[in-house]
Amino acid sequence: MSLAQAGDVEAREPVPPGAEDRAGAGEIRTGGWFVRIVIIAICVLWLIPAVGVLITSFRNEDLVNTSGWWTAFAHPLQAGQWTLENYRSALDAGGLGNSFLNSLAVTIPSTVIPITIAAFAAYAFSWMEFKGRYVLFVAVVGLLVVPLQMALIPILKLYVNGATIADYVVFPELRLNGTFLAVWLAHTGFGLPLAVYLLRNYIGSLPSSIIESAKMDGADHFTIFWRLIVPLSVPALAAFAIFQFLWVWNDLLVAYVFLGGTKDVQVLTLNLANLVGSRGENWQLLTSAAFISMALPLVVFFSLQKYFVRGLTAGSVKG
Amino acid sequence: MNRRWMRFAVPIVVFVMIAAACSKKDESSTGESGAPTAENTGKVNILAAVEPEEAAAIQEIADDQVNPNVDYDAEFEASGNFEQDVQVRGQAGTLDLIMLPQVGTIPTLVQTANAVSLEDMGFDIAELEDTFGKPFMDLGLVNGEHYAIPTNINLKSMIWYPKDDFDKAGYEVPETWDDLMALSDQIVADGGTPWCVGFQSEGSTGWPATDWMEDIMLRTAGPETYDQWWKHEIPFNDPSVQAAAQTFGDVMFHPDYVLGGAENTPGLAFGDAPLPMFDDPPGCWLHRQASFINAFFPKDAKAGVDYDWFPFPSMDTEGGPLFGGEMMMVFRNAPEVKDFMEQFMGTDFQCAMGGITAASRLSPNVNVDSSCYANEILADSAEVLKEGLESGSARFDASDLMPPAVGSGTFWTGMVQYMKGGPDSLDGILQDIENSWPSS
Amino acid sequence: MAAAPPPSGNALWLFALRLAGALAIPIGAGYLLWVTFDFLRSSDANRIVVVGVAVLVGVGGIFLLYWAMNRAVDLLPARYREGVRPWVFVGPCLVLLAVFLVYPVINTLLLSFKDAQSQNFVGLDNFKFVFTDESMLRAIRNTLGWMILVPLVAVSVGLAFATLVDRLRRGEAVAKSLIFLPMAISFAGAAITWRLIYSFRPAGFGSNIGLLNGVMIGLGQNPVDWISQHPWNNLFLMVIMVWMQTGFAMVVLSAAIKAIPDEIIEAARIDGASEWQVFRRIMVPTILPTIVVVATYMVINALKVFDIVFVMGSAELNQTEVVAERMIRWFFIGGNYGRGAAIAVVLFIAVIPVMVWNVRRFREEEQIR
Repeated sequence: MSLAQAGDVEAREPVPPGAEDRAGAGEIRTGGWFVRIVIIAICVLWLIPAVGVLITSFRNEDLVNTSGWWTAFAHPLQAGQWTLENYRSALDAGGLGNSFLNSLAVTIPSTVIPITIAAFAAYAFSWMEFKGRYVLFVAVVGLLVVPLQMALIPILKLYVNGATIADYVVFPELRLNGTFLAVWLAHTGFGLPLAVYLLRNYIGSLPSSIIESAKMDGADHFTIFWRLIVPLSVPALAAFAIFQFLWVWNDLLVAYVFLGGTKDVQVLTLNLANLVGSRGENWQLLTSAAFISMALPLVVFFSLQKYFVRGLTAGSVKG
Repeated sequence: MNRRWMRFAVPIVVFVMIAAACSKKDESSTGESGAPTAENTGKVNILAAVEPEEAAAIQEIADDQVNPNVDYDAEFEASGNFEQDVQVRGQAGTLDLIMLPQVGTIPTLVQTANAVSLEDMGFDIAELEDTFGKPFMDLGLVNGEHYAIPTNINLKSMIWYPKDDFDKAGYEVPETWDDLMALSDQIVADGGTPWCVGFQSEGSTGWPATDWMEDIMLRTAGPETYDQWWKHEIPFNDPSVQAAAQTFGDVMFHPDYVLGGAENTPGLAFGDAPLPMFDDPPGCWLHRQASFINAFFPKDAKAGVDYDWFPFPSMDTEGGPLFGGEMMMVFRNAPEVKDFMEQFMGTDFQCAMGGITAASRLSPNVNVDSSCYANEILADSAEVLKEGLESGSARFDASDLMPPAVGSGTFWTGMVQYMKGGPDSLDGILQDIENSWPSS
Repeated sequence: MAAAPPPSGNALWLFALRLAGALAIPIGAGYLLWVTFDFLRSSDANRIVVVGVAVLVGVGGIFLLYWAMNRAVDLLPARYREGVRPWVFVGPCLVLLAVFLVYPVINTLLLSFKDAQSQNFVGLDNFKFVFTDESMLRAIRNTLGWMILVPLVAVSVGLAFATLVDRLRRGEAVAKSLIFLPMAISFAGAAITWRLIYSFRPAGFGSNIGLLNGVMIGLGQNPVDWISQHPWNNLFLMVIMVWMQTGFAMVVLSAAIKAIPDEIIEAARIDGASEWQVFRRIMVPTILPTIVVVATYMVINALKVFDIVFVMGSAELNQTEVVAERMIRWFFIGGNYGRGAAIAVVLFIAVIPVMVWNVRRFREEEQIR
C-alpha cells in the first residue's frame, strides 16, 4: 500500500509547522505519558556518552587523567576543576579560522552538487522507462559497499597522471591533486550511491497520479521534474543534504588525500586531529575539539528541520 | 525551409568553433602538464610521522635557516596516518621527501613508489657513511643502491627510575643484568614492587614488549646474531631467540617483580605505566622505555631530580644501545630537493633540531655536538648513541626492520599472547611468528 | 512545422544535421563548464570566490547542462527521443560513478589476483588465504554478527523513536536532535567518547576514567578490561555503531512517517483500531520501502565497518577483527596489496545478496504502484 492509492492530487503550498491540526490527526489516546517516558529514556541513554565528553572538555587536564568524569557530579561547585583551557588550546591551534573556511569551501559544493546530479538520476530511475533500469539502479546501490580506502590510490593516480589504454588518452592528465575541485568531485562520486538510493525511494513513492495528470497536461519529463517533483521532494533533499553535509564536514581522509595536509589547505577535522600527539598525549583536547567541530552541523540540522513537517505532501493528496 | 536549416546551423557552427578551440587548448595543456621535469618547482614537501608540535618546531628551523636563502619553499607536513598516507601518495606520485620510521618498508616503497636512489641523486656515499656510520647507511640498501639517509634517532635502551626516592632508599644504579636482578630482589625485600610495565597502545599494542626483547637479544646473543634475526637468516624460534624470550619471561612472570602482574601488562597503556613511580612512596621503581616517554611524565617532575635514567645493563655481552629513528627517502629527483636534503643533514640544522624541547630528536650525524641538546637527558643519550654508532655496536629497532606483517603485526601480538599465556606458551608463539614471516 | 515528408536523400542529410546539432549543444555547455572548472582548478584563487563559483556553476551549470542535453534530445529525430532522454538524466551520475567507484572496483579486482607488490599474477592464492586464515575466518564471523545486530537494533530504535516522537506536540525537534547528535560528532570525537566509557586501568595504576568501570568499582567489583573480553567485546563495539547510526534511521524514517496521509490513519482509528494495530498494519506497510532502504544502508555500513574496530584496541588480540579492518591492515600496514584487495573483493561479493533482495523489493513496489 503506498501513497499512490490516494486519489486525486493537488499540489499545495507547504503547510507551516504547527498550523496543521494535530488534534485532528487523532487525539493521542493512552499514549501520552508512556510516549513521553519512553522518549525521555531513550534520549537519556543516548546522551550519557555525550555528557561524558562535554564534562571532560571543561575539566582540568590532570583531573581528566586521574578521576572519572562522573565524579564531577559529586562536587560540581568545587572551583579549580573547571576550566576553559581545553577550549582555549583548541581554538588557539594555529590556523583554526583558515581551516574552518577550508572546511566550508570543501563541504558546501560537495553537498550541493551531488544532490543535483542524484535528483535527476533518481527521477529517471523512478519515472522513466528505459532498458536496464533495474539492473543499473541496483548496481548503483551495490556501489555503496566500495570501501573508500580502495578508491584513494586509483583516483589519486588518475588525478595526477590521467589514464591511457594502449596509447589512447582515456582520461586527460589534469594534475588535479591539491585542488578543491578534486575533493568536490571525489565527494560527489562517493556520495552519489546513497543520494540516488534515498531520493529514488522518495520520488518513487510519490503518487503516480500526479505525474499522470501532469503528462496529460502536456508537460515533458524535464518540466515535470523541475516544477513538480523537486518541490515535492524537499524533505528527502533536505534529509540527504544533512547527511552529506555531515559526512563531508567530518571527513578527514578524502580531504587529506586529494586536497592536502599542509597548513594552507587543511580542513578543520585535520587541524583538530593534529592537536593530539600521534602517541596519544593531550587527548583531552579532542573533547573540546569535538564540540567545536560539531557546532556547525548541528546548526545545519536545526535549520533544515522545518522541512520535516507533517503534511508537506500528505496535504497534496486528496482522500 | 530556410528556418529549418538555421535550427541546425547555429549549433553546428558552435560545435565547430569549440572543436577548434579545444584542440588548441589540448596542445597548450600538454605542454604545461607534461611529465615531471627536473626543473625547480619552487616547493619541497616533507611528509613526516612526527607530532604536530614537532613539525611546527622543525618548520620554524627551516623557515629560519633554509627558506630565506634559497629559491624554494620547504614545507613539513605532519601526518597522523603515516603508513597509509605514504602508500597512497607514493603510488600516485605526489611525494617529494618522507621521514620514514618503519625502515623495514624501504624495499616495498622502492618497488611500488618509485623511490629515487641516493646514487642517482648524486650523493657521495662514502661521505655519508662517515657522517652516519656504515651500519646505519646500510639499512637503506636495496639491490646494491642506497635509498635512505638517517634523519633522527632516539635512544631506546633506557631504564627510568625515581631518583630522589632511589637515593633516599640507598639503592645503587646497576651496571650488569645480575646487579639489576639483585636490585629488584632488594626492592621486593624492602616491601616494594620493582617494575612497572605497560604494553597497551591501541592498534599497536605490544610494541614496548618487542623493545624489551630486542634489548635482551642484543645483549645475550650479540649484535651479529641480532642482525641474523631481523634479516631472517635464523628462524624466529631459533634457540637464541627462545633464550632471550625466556629471560624476558623471568622478569615478567616473577610473582613479585611486576606491578599488576604480567597478565595486566597488555591492558595497561604504555603512557600510564610509569606514573606510579611518581607516587609517594613509589608504586614501582624501574621502567624500561625509550626516550619519548619523557612527555608522559607528570608536568611538574624535574629531570635529574625527580627522575633520571641509566642505560640497559650488559648481560652476556656488552651489546650496544638500541635505537629507533627515521630515515629520509626521496621520490623526486630535482635540484631543490637535493639542496634541501644537504642542508637538513648538515650540522647547523641538526643542532638546531636538538634544541627543540617538544621533541626528543637526537641527531644521527656524528659531528653534532652534545651542547646542542635542550637538556641533560637528551645530551647524555646522544653521547651514548654517538659512541654506539661510531663503534658500530648500536643497533636499530629490529621490529621496524622486519617486514611489517611481522614487525608491526605478529611480533606485537605474539608478545602480548606470551604475557597472557605464561612461560609455557612461548614455543607455540615463536612458531606462529616464524610461520607468519612473508615468503618473498 | 508539419511539412510533407521530404525525399529520402534529404531525410538522411537532415538526420545527420540533427544529430550533430544535438551533440553541439551539450558540448557547448560542457565547454563552458570546463572553462570554469579550469579556473576552479587553481587552488590559489580566493577561497570564497572559488566556493561561490563552484556553487553557482556547480548547481546552476549542471542544471544548465541537463537542460541543454534535454533540448538536444528534442532535436533528435522523434524515434530516438524518448529512448535517449532517460540516459540524459542518468548520464552524468553514471559517468561519475564509473570514474570514482567502478574504476576502483576493477582496479581492486585486478590487484587481488596479483602478489603483495602487484608484480606477478598469483591466481587464487590470495583468496585461499582469505578463506583459510584463522584471523580472517574470525573476521568473517564477526562481520556477520555486525551485519545482523547493528541494523536490527538501529532500525528498531530509530523506527520506534520516530513514531513516538511524531506524537509529541512540542519538543519534537529537540528530541530528534539529541538522537541525531552522535551523527554530528566526527569519528575522532566518537572514539574519545567511548574511551570515556570503556577505559580500563588495572588496580594500582590510578583511578579508572571509564564509566563502566566506575560503575563496577561503585558496586565493589574489580575494574574490567572491557575491550578485551572476548566475545562480548564485539557487542561493546557494536553499541558504538548503533549509537552513531540510529540518528540516520530516525531522520529518514521520521520523514517517511510524516508523509503518511493523515486520512488513512484517522480512518483506521475511527474504525476502532488500537495504536499498536495502527502502527503494525497501517504505518509499517506504508513506509516499508523506506524501512528497506534504511535497513539496506545499515547492513552495508555494518559490512564496511572499519574505524571503530581499528581504533579501539588491537583487533587480533581482542579477537574483534572484521573484514574491512583486515583489509586495511593487510593493504596499508602490511603492505600486501594482493591480500588486501582479495579481502575487498570478499566485501563486494558479500553485498550481492543484499542487492538481489533489493531488486526483488523494487519490482514488487513497482507492481503495486
